[in-house]
Order: sequence, then C-alpha cells, then structure tokens
Amino acid sequence: MNALWTVFRKELLDAMRDRRMVMMAMVIGPLAGPLILAGVSFFGAMKQKEKIESVLELPVIGAQQAPNLMAWLESHSLKIVAPPSDPDAAVRNQQHEVILRVTDSFAADWRAGRPAQLELIYDSSRPLQTGTSIARLRNLLEAYDQELGTLRLVARGIHPAVARPLLVGARDVATPQSKFDFAQQLLPYLLLLLGFIGGMQVAIDATAGERERHSLEPLLATPASRSAIISGKILATAVFTLLSLVVTLLAFRLVFGLLPTDKIDMSIDLPWGTLAQLLLVILPIVLLGATLLTALAAFAKSHREAQGYLPLLTFLPMIPTLLLMVSPVKTQLWMLAVPFLGQNQLILKVLRGESISLVEWLLNLLSGLLIAGILWLVATRLYHREQLAASS
Amino acid sequence: MIEADNLSKSFQAGRTRVHAVDGVSFRALDGEITGLLGPNGAGKTTTLRMLYTLMAPQSGRVLVDGVDAAADPARVRANLGVLPDARGIYKRLTARENVAYFGRLHGLDPALIEARITGLATALDMNDFLERRTEGFSQGQRTKTAIARALVHDPRNVILDEPTNGLDVMTTRSLRRFLLGLRAEGRCVLFSSHIMQEVAQLCDRIVVIARGRVVASGTPDDIRAMAGTSNLEDAFVKVIGTDEGLFA
Repeated sequence: MNALWTVFRKELLDAMRDRRMVMMAMVIGPLAGPLILAGVSFFGAMKQKEKIESVLELPVIGAQQAPNLMAWLESHSLKIVAPPSDPDAAVRNQQHEVILRVTDSFAADWRAGRPAQLELIYDSSRPLQTGTSIARLRNLLEAYDQELGTLRLVARGIHPAVARPLLVGARDVATPQSKFDFAQQLLPYLLLLLGFIGGMQVAIDATAGERERHSLEPLLATPASRSAIISGKILATAVFTLLSLVVTLLAFRLVFGLLPTDKIDMSIDLPWGTLAQLLLVILPIVLLGATLLTALAAFAKSHREAQGYLPLLTFLPMIPTLLLMVSPVKTQLWMLAVPFLGQNQLILKVLRGESISLVEWLLNLLSGLLIAGILWLVATRLYHREQLAASS
Repeated sequence: MIEADNLSKSFQAGRTRVHAVDGVSFRALDGEITGLLGPNGAGKTTTLRMLYTLMAPQSGRVLVDGVDAAADPARVRANLGVLPDARGIYKRLTARENVAYFGRLHGLDPALIEARITGLATALDMNDFLERRTEGFSQGQRTKTAIARALVHDPRNVILDEPTNGLDVMTTRSLRRFLLGLRAEGRCVLFSSHIMQEVAQLCDRIVVIARGRVVASGTPDDIRAMAGTSNLEDAFVKVIGTDEGLFA
C-alpha cells in the first residue's frame, strides 16, 4: 500500500512536470472540444434562424393564374421570381430549394369553387439544407388555404367551426436543454473518449517509457511488489485523466455560458449539479481506460508500439453512439450495465435534465467498477511475468 | 553474503535454446569485493538478474544473508543494493528526488532518507548536481545518481553490473575508491566486468565465467597457480580459452 502510494505520487509528479503533456491534457484538449462543439452548434442555430427570417426567393410557374395568392405570399416575405426553364433539374442541382407550380386550370377551378391545384417541386433527400424553406412555404400555403376557406364559409352563412371538427393543439415537452441536439449527439462521445484515453500519454510514459529509458529494471529490484508498482501507475493515470476531465467540463461550462443563448433560443448551461453527475458517470470509464492503457503499454516494447493501439481504442467508445444513431432505441435497464453504452445513455439523461433512479445509478456504476476491477486483476497478474523487465 | 548454488537459465531464441547460465555456483563474502569476470555474452548479466530476483532460475537457488530468494524475494531485494545494466534515471526529477523515490520504495522514513542522501552525496561527490533535474546529466553524473539510488537503504550486499561502463578515467577512479570504501565497511560487494585489469586491481576474489559456466574461481593468486603462469593476464586467457573481449 505504501509502495503503491509512493509510485502514484512519483508518476503524477513526473507527468505534471512534462510541460507538453500538461499543455495538451489541461489546456488545449479541454478547450478544443467545447469550442468546436459550441461554435458549430451556434452557427448552425444562427443559420437556421436567419433562413426563417430572411426573404425566400420562390420561383413560380404560372404565377399569372393566381395574382391574389402571389400578392399574399409576397406580403409574407417571399419574393416571387420567374421560374427556370427546367424546374426539376434546377431543384435537383440545387439552384433552387423549392419551386411552386400553379396548374393551368387553377384560375378556372378557383372561380368555380373547385379545389385549385398547386404543386411543390423539391428534393427531400436534402432535409438539412432545404427542410426549413419547404416547411415555411407549406405553412404559408396552409394558412392561405384556411383563411380563404373560412371566408367562403362565412359568405355562405355557415359557422367556420362546422368545417373544423377537430382542433389539434401541440405542446412540445422538449426542455430548452434537450433542444440542443447537435451537441447532444456528440457530447457523450467526446466525454467518454476523453475519460477513456485521456491518460494515454501518462500510461505510456510510465510503462513503455520507463522500459525504454531503462529505469524499469532498477525499479523492479526494489522490495516494492509488482502489483503495487503497476497499481500506482494505473492510479496516477486515472487521476491525471480525471483532472483533465474536470478542466474539460469547466471549459464546457465556461464556453457554453458565453454563448448568446437569448439570440438562438436554446438553454445550454451546465449547472454544477450536472457537471458532478457527468463526472460520476464517467468515473468507471476513467478507471477502465487507465487500467487497459497501462496494461497494454506495459507490454508494448516501445512508445511507438504503444501508440499504435490508439486508433483502435478511439473506436471503442464510438460504437454505442454509432449504434444509437443508426437505430435509436428506448433505454432498457440492461443497457446501463454495458460499458460505454450505459454511460452514453446516462450522459444523455443527465444532459436532458431527466431524473435517474438509484437502481440505474448503481447498476451503471457497479458494473463499470466491476469490469475495471477484473481488468486490474489481469493487469497485475500479467505484470508479474518475467519477460516484462528483461527487455535488453 | 551472496550464495549462488548451481544456477541455470536458458532462453528460447528462435528455434534453438540458448543456455545463458549453465550450473553457476559461487560465494561472495562480506568484507570482500568479488569480481564476476567474463567476455561479453558469457552470462554475467543473467546470473546477476537471478541474484536480484528479476528472473527465476530454472534450477539451483540463491541465498542472500541466508534468505532463499525463491521463498522470500522481497526480503532478498531489501537486503541488496543493485546497480543493474539498465540504469536509467527519471529526467524530470532532480538527482535528490530520484534517490528519495527509491528510499521510499524501500520503506524508509523521510528523515532517514535525507540523512542517507547527505552521506551518499558526499561519498560520491554529488553535491553540485544534487538539486538539478537529471535531464542533460553526463554519463558520470547519471551513474553516480544510480549508485546513490541503489544504496539509499544502506544494504549489506551490493551488486553492480559493469559499473564502470562508459565512465571516464576520473570517474572510474573515484568509483573504485568508493567500492573499496564499501568493502572497508564490511559489506559484500559483487560486481561484474569484462575488463580484466579492473577486476585484477580491485577484487579479493574472482569468478571467471565463460559460456554460462564458471571456469575458474579464487583469489588472483589461486587463479595464477591454477593456470600455471605468473602473469594474471595470461592466466585469464588460459582459463577462458580465448582472449576475445577481455581487454578494454
């Protein structure tokens, strides 16, 4: 226990004196995530808002058939322009987001009181770019439809309510936090990745690095047990990662707090309670990562070989996020016991401001700690092997 | 006292099995300097690694002050001061921090560590670089730091694997004086070398190893008598069977 503590303190001191490593883990890394995420989210939201408020250019085929409709649309910040010669092609190659066609029989139908036909030409395979404009035009046309319908009923002495047996109201239960969905997709992955491999450099330096610099053999010649030595190194890696994680969470709070949320109608503040919960969720992943990294790096012959595992490990926390993107599923209790998947779900819950039951907490934390514990046992066993020290 | 009793160790190298150490036995007594002499690749480092429990022998046993290394390796390591062939130090720590780290690993309390460092720094002439971070140290400064680190717990038995490797003449001379000082304090000093002159000059007892076996052992006089020559150099060449790798 004493030796473990000694090794832990020395490794942490050693890591903290490595300026490049500290700079990466405590400054650049923690700032990069929130800045990129906040920047992208913010500009995305601004862009969308701009689209809703700006004047939409709408090419109309056969505009002369419906002068009143055109006038009404123009009064609702649409600008009617002349149609291109090949409307379908123009939409397909993104010259126009949406084109309105007024059918030839429109004027005649209108006067006869028959439904007069309009046609929207758009490309549904690009919902992100064109969705806002299409929805805006549809809403306007629907509003016009209703307005005129009501007037016609009134003109015939019928109460407009007769034609509207249903009144559908909508109540959106999304909290302002849960609206921030782009950040929501990426934040769990970013945090899990950092928690998992944030201590990579420390782990490599303390094991493969120690061997490479020829200081492992003298260390193993002291009475300190090998289990204590590797445990101290694992602990140092975990604490270093945890520090980096805390700084990152603070950076998220700071950066998101600075965003002018009043302009984009989204609340993304991370109160202290949320930060603490996030830290607790990620803790087992930190231990898991520190143990796995230390064990892997201990058997790598060099720094370089140890770093070769990096891409593979980066992919691990991504798996649940990818799975959930492809087929979103309702959270089942058993999922919380699966590493990464469980943390992913819990982080989402925390970010959405949903309550998490004690059972969910315990299941997630205990399974994570159990797996980390098993890995730690394997790592200490492996560290007793003879080939470990006798490298030269 | 360090006793090696019929030690053997072999490694798999590709398809062939290499017998690095093949039945080595000797004794290194307290108050004496024992030299393990042999050409490169003779099995010196492997033998020493078994003594300080880094490797387990396939046969035979190691006793340090009567303690069996297989039964209680931690206690054997506690009674040994080891300067291995690999002697890297931590470059982001100062020389003092490097030595103190090992003192704590040996379970010493801070006051005792401070006192030991003060003593060792004087004996090894380390005071002008003791508080500096070791990055950029000369080979001599690094070796001195590594030796101080190996001896911080005041061990009765000292094992040094090629201690003068890479050192300049001045540092080598001061290291020799230091080893003689350890002997005068009644410790058991065992060191390996492939440099015959060094062993001849310093050792009370010499164990000559070649191809993993002990080919001769005893005082310098014993070895001269055994080989039947009055010249120690000729005697070594004769017992080893070749002069390859014996001259610095």
